[in-house]
Amino acid sequence: MKNFVNKYKRELVVLLATFGMGLIFTVMNPNFMRVSNIITILQQMVLNGVLAAGIMFAIITGGIDLSIGCTFAITGIVTASMAVKGINPWLAILAGLAVGAVLGAFNGFLVTGLKLQPFIATLGTMSLYRGIAYVITGGMPVTGVPSVYRNIFNGRMFGNVRWYILVMIIIFILIHIMLSRTRTGDYLYAVGDNEEAAKLSGVNVVKVKYVAYIVCGICSAAAGLIMLASLGSAESTAGLGYETNAIAAAAIGGTRMAGGRGTAFGTFVGALMLAVLRVGMVVINVDSFWQYVVTGIIIIVASYFEFIQQDIANFLARRRAAK
Amino acid sequence: MSKAVEFVKINKHFPGAHVLKDISFSVEEGEVTALLGENGAGKSTILNILHGVYPEYEGDVLLHGKKVQFRNPNQAIVEGKISKVHQETLIVRDLTVGQNVTLGHEPTKGFFIDYAKMHRDVNAILTDLHCNFRSEELADKLTSGQMQMMAIARALYHKSNIISLDEPTASLSIRETEALFDVIKQLKAQGVTILYVSHRLEEIFRICDKAVIMRDGEYITTLEVAKTTRDELIHAMVGRAVSAVASRNLPCMASDEVVLKAENLTGPTGFKDVSFELHKGEILGFFGLVGAGRTETMRAIFGADMITGGKVFMKGKRIPTGSWNTSKALKAGIGLIPEDRKTQGFMKLSSNTQNISISSLEDYANAFGFLSDDKKLKNAEHFFKELEIHPNKPEYLTLNMSGGNQQKVILARWMSTKVDIIIFDEPTKGVDVGAKAEIYRLMEEMIQNGKSIIVISSELPEVMGLSDRIIVMGEGKVNAVLNRGEYGTSDQMLDYAIGG
Repeated sequence: MKNFVNKYKRELVVLLATFGMGLIFTVMNPNFMRVSNIITILQQMVLNGVLAAGIMFAIITGGIDLSIGCTFAITGIVTASMAVKGINPWLAILAGLAVGAVLGAFNGFLVTGLKLQPFIATLGTMSLYRGIAYVITGGMPVTGVPSVYRNIFNGRMFGNVRWYILVMIIIFILIHIMLSRTRTGDYLYAVGDNEEAAKLSGVNVVKVKYVAYIVCGICSAAAGLIMLASLGSAESTAGLGYETNAIAAAAIGGTRMAGGRGTAFGTFVGALMLAVLRVGMVVINVDSFWQYVVTGIIIIVASYFEFIQQDIANFLARRRAAK
Repeated sequence: MSKAVEFVKINKHFPGAHVLKDISFSVEEGEVTALLGENGAGKSTILNILHGVYPEYEGDVLLHGKKVQFRNPNQAIVEGKISKVHQETLIVRDLTVGQNVTLGHEPTKGFFIDYAKMHRDVNAILTDLHCNFRSEELADKLTSGQMQMMAIARALYHKSNIISLDEPTASLSIRETEALFDVIKQLKAQGVTILYVSHRLEEIFRICDKAVIMRDGEYITTLEVAKTTRDELIHAMVGRAVSAVASRNLPCMASDEVVLKAENLTGPTGFKDVSFELHKGEILGFFGLVGAGRTETMRAIFGADMITGGKVFMKGKRIPTGSWNTSKALKAGIGLIPEDRKTQGFMKLSSNTQNISISSLEDYANAFGFLSDDKKLKNAEHFFKELEIHPNKPEYLTLNMSGGNQQKVILARWMSTKVDIIIFDEPTKGVDVGAKAEIYRLMEEMIQNGKSIIVISSELPEVMGLSDRIIVMGEGKVNAVLNRGEYGTSDQMLDYAIGG
């Protein structure tokens, strides 16, 4: 237990802060703590949470993936077109995830093969993928997705909870295991921390980066599939600007922007905090524009906390030594 | 004579560590004072306090009898007239020498920088220092020795009367080192006080007047260099008698079996037609001047850089040089301990345990194939004990360990793997005498256990004392292959290195 607290200090602080925010909202409107509202919060965080989980992989390796919103859109379009044609929905899902993996792998190729800066490379694919989405749909939405597909994610399980919440939780658990219990996880952190040292330790840096961008692509695809199920249609403009919220969730959860640090638990908590904020603002009837202001302040405060953590540790060490 | 610097009861804490304990000593004006101690003794910390890098500490710092407390290095330079020349000189490569020297304090004419005056002033200093480069040149073009000189010029530009040099000769050629010594003597004659940190004891005897000895964060004593011996110095530093001379104490293990063979190896990073053989159980030394292509050759063999021509055979099997990478090299059984620990050796955010386990992760999987933190820790604890890594804290960040112990952590990484060829690139660079002797001992033990070693070193006593054979490189080519007994004198070795 003590180990757990030590390891996830940062994450637990953010979780506590989220509870604190929840309490404030509850005082202002007791409805906030109702079970139905909490389920709403979880539903609200699903898309951002899954996207953030993916982009965290790119960030851990010291990169970034700005194209996730576009991958999100293309996946929706591809799967929607297949589902509309009556193709087996599971096959359509598989195809959607495969598209995400391929788009992610292309990002990986630009970053490792052509050695482009991840920011520039994915800025390019951001426009490229969005363009592809427009071209294949001609700008028209794909509608009429059959309910047999939609129910896979959008259907309700026990307690009226939608399946996609469970999907998100499973994704986070898988990612947690991957990052903390597999060789790939250790390699991802090592590459983001010190790429040259990782390489000289016998780590296949190229392969590790491919894995990061492919996982990122698959997560974006998964988010796209969930979005498609809940809307029943796919649009080429879907996911515009989603990458900023995903980066915010990862950052609030303690992912280090320079790479080498970040956990599934932290990103989950970061996405949860943003969702609590969004829903809370509505519950207490604050103009939704303020949400942007508060989100901005939270990102800055969270980053500053990271910065002063070292000072606090120094202070405590001196106190302990003085005794 | 008066005291240029005086430390009074300095204490400094880092999280979980009391790194300076009641340090009090003083430095006489106009003398060259060596600051000696093992890695982790606190030399860098006390220098950082002096130069305002660590503004928070307990105790007093006095300059010329006046108490000072600098908030940052810039204030120390400008107000304290006190400068530090770094181990790895900090320069902006895209600016000229003059711009680098005056950075942040450029002479101005109205709103604009007065370049004419800048270059005039800087060139005057460079001429004074007998430098063969000019203020107008790009800093990028300088050799490491010239960069060192530029840093000294910067100190003089700010009229510093106290200058610290931290391992200034670590990456200098022999000629550059001599030039640096001349400059130090010249500065001393001008009344500048110099603090000198180096692990190379020969240098201390050549240019220092006094030696301040520190150990484990404590001040031990100040010795007059002229009245002391090498052994006395080492004894004071380490607290025990240590032989820091590289020598072989165990029997030679070299066999006829060739484990690694390079044929006409060529690569874009600066080596050409390099051929050599490494025998099983051998310590093969690579000597040469800075820039001879030794590191580049080894990096390529280890898969870190490209190979464009020639062949490499491992245990008789040709390796696919086109698709070669470090992870394949590791699987094939080659390991490399890089020259620059900080940038190439270890992961900065990782604990010692993580840094040790990264190359042998497959060994720590449990029955389900998932990695076990306990297994990693057990392995790390084993090596902490075997290699006597200090402090015995596998959970600490490697970044916070001292140089010699960082080197041991990287050594432990490779000892955790199954590799049987290990390349040591400058294994004792920036490592104190105590750890040096231990690293030599470990290398000998490795060959007793059937491993083979390549050691790249620019220190002649080291490479001559350790190696079964020596390959001398110069300008990317093999100049000579010498068997033990044919090494000759240092001068002859240098002749080979220069290409005679």
